[in-house]
Amino acid sequence: MRVAVVGLVLLLSGCGAIPPVVPSAPIRSAAPTLAAPAPEPRPTTDVDVQIRSARLEPVTQPVPPVRVQVPAADIDMDIQPVGVRDDGLMELPDYVGTAGWYRFGSDPAEGAGTTVVAAHVDSLKYGLGPFAHLKDLPAGAEIVLTTADGTEHRYSVESVTKVLKEDLPVAEVFTREGPERLVLITCGGQFDYDALRYSDNVLVTAVPAQ
Amino acid sequence: MRYTILAGTAAGILAAGALALPASALSDSTADLYVLHAVPDTPVDVWVNGELTLDDFKPGDMAGPLDLPAGTYSVAITAPDAADASAPVIGPIDLPLSAGTSYTAVAHLGEDGKPTASLFTNDLRTTAPGQGRLTVRHTAAAPAVDILAGGAPVISGLANPDEAVLDLPAGVVSASVAVAGTTDPVIGPADVDVAEGVNTIVYAWGSAEAGNLDLAVQTISGLHSAPGGVNSGQAGLAADPEPPVAAWIALATLAAAAAGLVTAARLRRQPTR
Repeated sequence: MRVAVVGLVLLLSGCGAIPPVVPSAPIRSAAPTLAAPAPEPRPTTDVDVQIRSARLEPVTQPVPPVRVQVPAADIDMDIQPVGVRDDGLMELPDYVGTAGWYRFGSDPAEGAGTTVVAAHVDSLKYGLGPFAHLKDLPAGAEIVLTTADGTEHRYSVESVTKVLKEDLPVAEVFTREGPERLVLITCGGQFDYDALRYSDNVLVTAVPAQ
Repeated sequence: MRYTILAGTAAGILAAGALALPASALSDSTADLYVLHAVPDTPVDVWVNGELTLDDFKPGDMAGPLDLPAGTYSVAITAPDAADASAPVIGPIDLPLSAGTSYTAVAHLGEDGKPTASLFTNDLRTTAPGQGRLTVRHTAAAPAVDILAGGAPVISGLANPDEAVLDLPAGVVSASVAVAGTTDPVIGPADVDVAEGVNTIVYAWGSAEAGNLDLAVQTISGLHSAPGGVNSGQAGLAADPEPPVAAWIALATLAAAAAGLVTAARLRRQPTR
């Protein structure tokens, strides 16, 4: 989004003596002779400013991931795009056998930032879900995300981490910048049977396979 | 509190954060300045403090951001290929730019059709998760307008050179512009992507009389915030095992010992009553 405008910065900061424009008759017009003086060369811009059309562009949408496969954990699930719940938490499909892709984050084709895919580990209605196996994944395990256009994006597990839910570093997990990675999220740790709530999030961090 | 299941690999998530870039490179000492040419038909030259800065700048084009030290800049707009800034068609105007702030200077038509310039401040405050920001700026030779989304007014009575800013659930808005109090579009409807974490700034520009009203769009990204967390289980079927029996015995022994100490202390205290 930003461009280097070193030229102008130097011009304006380094040459602090540039006076504001004083509207007055140009001195050059008082040429004393009738002979046409050689015209002064017109100034040129020293500045390399990014210029682009501001016209309304057609809307483009990312190609969403639609399927996640983790052979080492017997996971093969459909993915739906999800957003944010009214309480500000990430939205998730109710069904434990369907994962949610955070559509306001990165996507597998973006080439930067984190693609976040999460699913319920269990539910009172549907029982235990496939993401219950995530916590046992070994490093190097393969994860395949298939996008709606049929492209398969392959990742290799780098780490499996448990973190107290209240300590989940959301700005880091949901970043759109930095190196390309995939994070699978579910719940784990201790369970509070009164609040029906797990203590932890389980995070699988994976990087594009070599 | 954080612990790792796979030994030696906890750094993954944290390392990602360390590489995340700031939402904007605005600094404590500089301002960002964008420039939009919204006067129909005529390319211009833009001079900043007497120096040619944008040469042959075309209508409908957006330049920038220029990363400028905070201060006041004199901007003059001349016909293309002017020898200097002494005969501006707009200005010179003073633009006071504060540090850490993003601006867009717009050369445009006033409601009366005469060329003028306006300086707008771009709202770069962080947006709530799932929200996008829509800014609408009236820079056209036209009376006050209503902005309609999906046919219903969302902004009413916007006059040149004013702006309206609203945060919306992110998504594509079918936007149109109608003379205030009417619903018959003079611009649009057009699909505008109000993307999450982005300030999408839409300019109505041109001239109603000349029949060349149009939209120009500027987007400034990096305003997003993350959801508050992920609540992904409700049955306890995947909970870690309870602490093993040996640990319970050890805990019980400790508790008994503690109780014994308390009892002993009480007994010792009794004679002093």
